[in-house]
Amino acid sequence: MGIILNGRPIVSGIISSRALVSKKPLSFLGGIDPERGTIIEKDHDLRGRSIRGKVLCFPHGHGSTVGSYVLYSLAKKGVGPKAIINVTADPVVVVGAIIAEIPMVDQIDIEQIMTDDIVEVDGGKGTVKIIERRQLCT
Amino acid sequence: MYLTPEEEKIYDGELGWAYQVSMRILVKLGDLFGASRLIPINSAHISGVSYKTIGDAPIDFLKALVETGGRARVNSTVNPSGFDLQQIEKMAISQEIKKKQLEIIDLYEKMSVNPILTCTPYYLVRPKIDSHLAWAESSAVIYANSILGAWTNREGGPSALAATLIGKTPDYGMHRAEEREANLHVKVKCQPRNEMEFGALGVRIGKIVGNRVPILTRLSRCTRDSLKQLGAGLASSGMTSIFYCSEEYVGKSLETISVEDKDIKDAIEKLSTTSENPDLVFLGCPHCSISEIQQIAHLIKGRRVREDVRLWVCTSRYVKAKAKRYVDIIEATGSHVLCDTCAVVTWIKELGVNTMMTNSAKTAYYAPTLNRVETIMAPIDQCIETACGE
Repeated sequence: MGIILNGRPIVSGIISSRALVSKKPLSFLGGIDPERGTIIEKDHDLRGRSIRGKVLCFPHGHGSTVGSYVLYSLAKKGVGPKAIINVTADPVVVVGAIIAEIPMVDQIDIEQIMTDDIVEVDGGKGTVKIIERRQLCT
Repeated sequence: MYLTPEEEKIYDGELGWAYQVSMRILVKLGDLFGASRLIPINSAHISGVSYKTIGDAPIDFLKALVETGGRARVNSTVNPSGFDLQQIEKMAISQEIKKKQLEIIDLYEKMSVNPILTCTPYYLVRPKIDSHLAWAESSAVIYANSILGAWTNREGGPSALAATLIGKTPDYGMHRAEEREANLHVKVKCQPRNEMEFGALGVRIGKIVGNRVPILTRLSRCTRDSLKQLGAGLASSGMTSIFYCSEEYVGKSLETISVEDKDIKDAIEKLSTTSENPDLVFLGCPHCSISEIQQIAHLIKGRRVREDVRLWVCTSRYVKAKAKRYVDIIEATGSHVLCDTCAVVTWIKELGVNTMMTNSAKTAYYAPTLNRVETIMAPIDQCIETACGE
């Protein structure tokens, strides 16, 4: 194992955790339960899943710039993601990751990552390392 | 991005967390969008104030900024809040909501932000031509760039706040002359007859232009008030930050589209979700200018608002004071002239409003989702006739 994906550094910090991969864009304002960190966005492929402690992978953000504050608030309550991986970073998520000090990388092909893989994100270098693939049969 | 030694120190945290995090926001956004440096700004305007729109999310962040010494370095104003601070009784506000909203406003004040709660800060202090700004609130951004000749990107709440604390903004996008050049020619083959039709035309064109820079030709009877409606509409359905109006277009060849009478009619039809009688007639999105207040006073003088309808005229506290003579005429009819807020950012459903009539295309564009009400579009004279008619 040990596939390394190279992207662009956005917010520095090294963290490893299980991945949660969303095919759809996410709106932090209105899309995430601000108390629990669960995805509540209508018609979302991960509706009901918690982003708490995860390496959250999604194409890009959408919606209100208040979303940045939501990300900060989630992190302060301990229900935010441990790291963020985007395909294309947008200002709402970037600003949210900066103020919440969440390591972040973009320009990553997130289709290479599967939910529950253990990945290591190095936000300073812009790299994502897949440490362990999820167990498909247990 | 190049940073001066002083900016480097702020980036490294020498002035504390509030300035450090603000500098990080500006530098990172600058890097992402190809800025080469930070440039000084004359003013900032911050969105994200109404508790109805933003909820609890920003409170923790604003508190942290205040506690670590964050103070505004330039003149700055904020968007409307969830109620008129002096007429709370006219709105559906619980004690809990009142407390939260006042806390948010208080946090901005503690950062020395001017607590004038309006979406039209340009009536209070008109930005100088060619001055650089960091404004949020899309209708104010497009007005500043297109009508006042100032230079501002369409900021979000947090980036405008960061620029307020640092007094600077990264020099990308609308701060560069080459990015402000028109790249789409819109031939207007119709003449909007009133402010409502200007706004509807804006919504229609905004859907086509995306984030391009349109030049509209052959449009006449353009007043600042009608162009305010057009710009607010354009910035609601599109990501446009600037537009031009001109008799003819002469210059390098551009992609050309045309809009006709049918387009305005279609837009109005789409923005009107019902034909039932309204519970609320709302004028003042964006907040009324003195001339709009004067026009309303002229049309409504001596009449009486029906018992079963509310008529709200929203404006800034500054304009209300300046136009007191006209405000008195309007209020004598049973209408409410409200400041610090508007029908979209307060709780109207909770006042029993299910159907709203407005002359604003921007309001009609947002109210069905943000307020869960039906909308009817009508020009100002028809709005007043509906509110006061037999």
